[in-house]
Amino acid sequence: MMKADVSEILVAREVSKTYFDPTFGENVHALDGISLSIRAHEFVSVIGPSGCGKSTFLRIVAGLDRPTGGEIRVSGNKVTGPGADRGMVFQEYALLPWKTTQANVEFGLRLKGVSRKERARISRRFIELVGLSGFENKYPHQLSGGMRQRAAVARVLANNPTVLLMDEPFAAVDAMTRQRLQEELTVITATERTTVLFVTHAIDEAVFLSDRVIALSGRPGRIVADVDIDLPRPRQWSELVRDPRFQHYRDLLTAKIERTGAHVEAHP
Amino acid sequence: MTTTLARARWTPLGMTWKLARELFPFAVGVIAWQLLSSLNIWPPVLFPSPLEVLRAFIADVGSGTLLVNLGVSLKSLGLGFLVGAVIAVPLGYLMGLNRASRDFFDPLVNLLQAIPGLAWIPFAILWFGLGQGAVTFIIVMSVFFPVLHNLLTGIRTVQPVLIEAVQTLGARRMDVITHVIFPATLPNLMTGVRLGIAFGFRSLVGGEMIASTDGIGYAIFNAQQYFQSARIVVGMLAIGITWLIMDRFILRPIELRTTMRWGLMRDGLENT
Repeated sequence: MMKADVSEILVAREVSKTYFDPTFGENVHALDGISLSIRAHEFVSVIGPSGCGKSTFLRIVAGLDRPTGGEIRVSGNKVTGPGADRGMVFQEYALLPWKTTQANVEFGLRLKGVSRKERARISRRFIELVGLSGFENKYPHQLSGGMRQRAAVARVLANNPTVLLMDEPFAAVDAMTRQRLQEELTVITATERTTVLFVTHAIDEAVFLSDRVIALSGRPGRIVADVDIDLPRPRQWSELVRDPRFQHYRDLLTAKIERTGAHVEAHP
Repeated sequence: MTTTLARARWTPLGMTWKLARELFPFAVGVIAWQLLSSLNIWPPVLFPSPLEVLRAFIADVGSGTLLVNLGVSLKSLGLGFLVGAVIAVPLGYLMGLNRASRDFFDPLVNLLQAIPGLAWIPFAILWFGLGQGAVTFIIVMSVFFPVLHNLLTGIRTVQPVLIEAVQTLGARRMDVITHVIFPATLPNLMTGVRLGIAFGFRSLVGGEMIASTDGIGYAIFNAQQYFQSARIVVGMLAIGITWLIMDRFILRPIELRTTMRWGLMRDGLENT
């Protein structure tokens, strides 16, 4: 057996997934032997064409889906179901509509039995971190899409997960807001030293955010590239779009994925 | 925008205007009714005039019979609703959350819900005798299904992503039920309660006409026996007005508040 590197917080070993699709009445081979490891404080994105199983992979890490083969270990523990150590941010925000921003952010802490005073202290810090101070007592339907996603990020971070999972979190907001949220996310995860596993179909977004980008092929998803992104931080769109290295990474990843015969989108 | 609207609504002038607008359709109805009866096409026993009804109303209020009958009816309605809801709500959550119990109860519920509450009258009389006991039973049977049905719809339509999100925050099954399922189904439950009471109200009057010796339905039936047409109308209007007041000041505000706070305001709610 390989000796596990202690800094490797998340390890996937030969993860495969086949499921039955009732709409088409056939088995879908979504993922094929995905092995990877993520170190502490690393920001890793998984990209690939739609249907490549990248979201399925994230859901398996979250424990919301079960792999048909292989296993995931987080901090050495095998994943058998969802847990607070793997907090997830969804494209649909998924805030509880009957709770205020503050109550949503405090939710995980409340489940852990953290005292009211301590919850208030922690939620205040994270609400401020995501720039939602002043909106503590608003309900989700009173917030814009961008603000809801900020609240959703604060909700997971306040819960202090081992790894932050993000499933195309900015796909539902407009382009301007998306760029701002991306810039904010790089600052937040750098300050908090968060380990992030981020899924997107947008190559630009993956390169902009990540320390490392993993590209999957079309179905069944296999790893076709694992690229370290060596760009200075903090990152800003206004500078990065002109950086030849940014363009290099983008072209490299586009080529890797296109070679698998799948169409990809490349927008920021 | 909502605050200015609310403010305008609470000025005395705004209130009067709003009240006038709400009462206008009723005023038109009464005038049309008066005109029709002044034509003297039908004898008063077949078509009593508003004035006669008003006189009968004053007499029935004065003698206390109207309020006593209304009280009896509302007591049956309240009790019947309570019993119906107390059975329907736990059963709804059990069926919604547990597959085995859903598979077991679903066919039974489906069979029974096709049977109108009033079809239970014969058995209600056999089991409870003539009186409010039988009426209450009929109301239970009428309230039960709308409450159950709406609750099941609510549980079925809880967004899976909400459940998944709280699971990744550390929620166990019990946490999911108390923190997601219960609050998420509250608007549907309120709709079910409102519909249940409306259904119960209809069965109440029908039930009392056949299966009871008091209550507002019986009063209507009794007035017909003595050809007191105006008193029939008094009873009918008492039912309609009681429902309007209950719906306007209790049921609808509760339903609207839950739906609004949940951010689920939907068009057409006003008309349900």
